[in-house]
Amino acid sequence: MTTQTVTPPQRAAPDESYAALRARPRMIIIGLVGMAVVVWALANLFLAFGYYPERFGNKIVIALLAIVAGVAGAALLFWFLNMFVEGLPERLTQGVIPYAFLIPGFLFVALMLIYPTFQSINYSFANSDSTAYVGLQNYRTIFGDSEFWNAIINNILWLIIVPAVVVAFGVVVAVLSDKLSANGEKFAKSLIFVPMAISAVSASAIWLLVYAYNNPGQAQTGLLNAIWVGLGGEPQAWLQIETAKLNSILLMVILIWLQAGFAMVLLSSAIKGVPEDTLEAARIDGASEWQIFWRVVIPQIMGTIITVFVTVFITVLKVFDIVYVTTNGAYNTNVIANLFFNKLFGASEAGQASAIVVVLLLAVIPLIWFQIRHFRNEETNR
Amino acid sequence: MSGRKRVVLAGGMAVAMTLLAGCLSSNDNGGGGGGAGGTGSFVDGGSADNDKKVTMLGTFGGDEEKNFLAALAPFEKSSGIDIQYVADRDFATTIKQKVNSGDAPDIGLFAQPGGLMEFAADNKVQALDSILDVNALNSSLVPGLLDSAKYNGKVYAAPMKLAGKSLVWYPKKAYTAGGYSTAPATMTELQGVADKIKSSGTAPWCMGWESAQDTGWVGTDWIEQYVLGMFGPEVYDQWTSHKIPFNDPRIIQAFDEFAKIAKGDGYVLGGPKGVLSTPFGEAMLPAFAKPPQCFLERQGNFVTSFLPKNIQANLAEEVGVFAFPKFDNGFEGTAMVGAADMAALFNGNDPDAQAVMKFLASADFGKEWAKAGGWLSPHKTFDISLYPDETTKQVADIVSKAGVFRFDGSDLMPKAVGSGTFWSELIKWENGQSSKETADNIEASWPKS
Repeated sequence: MTTQTVTPPQRAAPDESYAALRARPRMIIIGLVGMAVVVWALANLFLAFGYYPERFGNKIVIALLAIVAGVAGAALLFWFLNMFVEGLPERLTQGVIPYAFLIPGFLFVALMLIYPTFQSINYSFANSDSTAYVGLQNYRTIFGDSEFWNAIINNILWLIIVPAVVVAFGVVVAVLSDKLSANGEKFAKSLIFVPMAISAVSASAIWLLVYAYNNPGQAQTGLLNAIWVGLGGEPQAWLQIETAKLNSILLMVILIWLQAGFAMVLLSSAIKGVPEDTLEAARIDGASEWQIFWRVVIPQIMGTIITVFVTVFITVLKVFDIVYVTTNGAYNTNVIANLFFNKLFGASEAGQASAIVVVLLLAVIPLIWFQIRHFRNEETNR
Repeated sequence: MSGRKRVVLAGGMAVAMTLLAGCLSSNDNGGGGGGAGGTGSFVDGGSADNDKKVTMLGTFGGDEEKNFLAALAPFEKSSGIDIQYVADRDFATTIKQKVNSGDAPDIGLFAQPGGLMEFAADNKVQALDSILDVNALNSSLVPGLLDSAKYNGKVYAAPMKLAGKSLVWYPKKAYTAGGYSTAPATMTELQGVADKIKSSGTAPWCMGWESAQDTGWVGTDWIEQYVLGMFGPEVYDQWTSHKIPFNDPRIIQAFDEFAKIAKGDGYVLGGPKGVLSTPFGEAMLPAFAKPPQCFLERQGNFVTSFLPKNIQANLAEEVGVFAFPKFDNGFEGTAMVGAADMAALFNGNDPDAQAVMKFLASADFGKEWAKAGGWLSPHKTFDISLYPDETTKQVADIVSKAGVFRFDGSDLMPKAVGSGTFWSELIKWENGQSSKETADNIEASWPKS
């Protein structure tokens, strides 16, 4: 299809400039009608899947039909789109073609991302079932709710502690494993990377077993309590201990455990990318290994460190599943995303939930902007 | 970002905002199945009339569905009516969609009164006063049960399955060996039993509130028990419908009373830490340790399904049960908190659907289900000998003799409270927060509007 779009240089002909300006109305019309028909037919087919599933026999037939019709339909749509664009005057075609092929993608992003964003902002000014506007009432309610501030404080703690520890841990493991034998390095790195493959929910379930509490006198099935009692302590309900935010920190351990592998892999490859001659030069100048690490290696992998830091930072900002599965925000461990979820699905307070999510959105925007700028700088430095 | 881009972006945002302004979901229910006007008229939803077919939507699935259908079979045979039952786990949502889009079943089986009352207010469901003998029904049902199905004085549903939670369970062998009273008549007597057990060096109460994301509901059941038992059904109804504030002094008093057990020194196994960490299904397991680590557990009739296999095999010998006793100066008689499934009629002028409703509302319904187990009749007049084992018979006896029945209060409150702050604040309460502060916080969270 696309081969046609790059029109071969036309031979010098008397009407060359004229041809470049002339539109081909037949192609335009066929293209437009074709697109409309494809969209109409696809829409009807998929609605039929929903409304009259019994007419198609069983679910597998529907699934296969959906795949075939979806792929073929998309191809046909683009084919007609291409025809339409080529029917335009030549000069216009050159300019329009990239956009024509991008627009469906943009529309999808708009539908799935931009529309919900604005709808959330809209709903944050409405009541609990989004049927009437209530002005700033929702914001007043959440800002007056101690649970909300509690969640904010916890989120800030998560943000301060987790990305920093993940990066530090990643650097340390990357550097140390670099000094191991090839096989030892592989083994150590795989071991630390394995948790990456575990979903946050499963990881939380695993760690719940570690933190489990049984009444004194019963066998302690939780690993931490088993060790604690083995050392002569009283069994502790770890996730209920709010002193010094211990329970929140124990939940952070889960995320650190999950993310360390990711940080290590990126940082390790960055360290391996540090040119040997810079290290050599430093050694010849009499620098100690410690100085080399801080003054030569770290500055050269700073870009990767920032990338990892920001990525983990954004992950932490959205942290939800770990808190939801372990405590559901009880014992002062709530975070914004979990609070939002409970407001929306537990309490059916769509207005307040939207307001919370808007606050979260506002908090994320500067970070995303920073990250995009950082990536752009990285690109230009390359 | 260039100046032009900025203009385009700002323009796009402005367009998006104008498009969305005033763009809220509408709450218009549309015409629906043709609302009935004044008294005596019929709600005409559901399928065709007089075709010997009755459609029914409910929550019973799996084994329950099998037993329910078995209970319907003899009636279908004798009446020639074909009952087409569809199970839907997400009944509350589905029934709303179906009724509001004019696709109501003839009969819906509600597990919560909340959704039913909304339909009654919108005239989408048939009042049963003209179809059933409501007075006879009321006198045959457990007292107070029919109140839950009333809207503006009219009855909109017939209870057909009951679950009671105001039951106290104990490990029979160890308990009787200790010589403790197996039928304490008042809370003071029960407290005496607890003191006696405590002085023997064992915690009297088993309690577990942990239930993953729903942690706390066990505690709310207790509070409901205390409010209903101490102050009676009127205060209870005012409390659940927010006619009195949640932090009414009486409610706080109920919290304080309950604190004697839940937060009292040595009255509950493991103390608050243990209560909050123990899953509700495992709470009673220590009662069957040798020697028992706790003796008493207040829980619904479903608790037996969580007991170890060897206990379940000899339920009648291993497990004893008595009604949660009345409070001194409180409501006279057993205050029963629980849940019921209720049948509501959407096709008011279909004689077949009416016949099915009459059957579901009668004490004859459920004989087959009773034998299969897991079902209690809401009727006092139901033949208790039909239940499969001694324990169920005992429970049925307690429930049918209840002085008053009320729905689980947290199910009657708005979700923001009933499955939100009531749970979360109660966890804080168990962890040390005062009764007053707890009730104040819950009151503050009650949705305004």
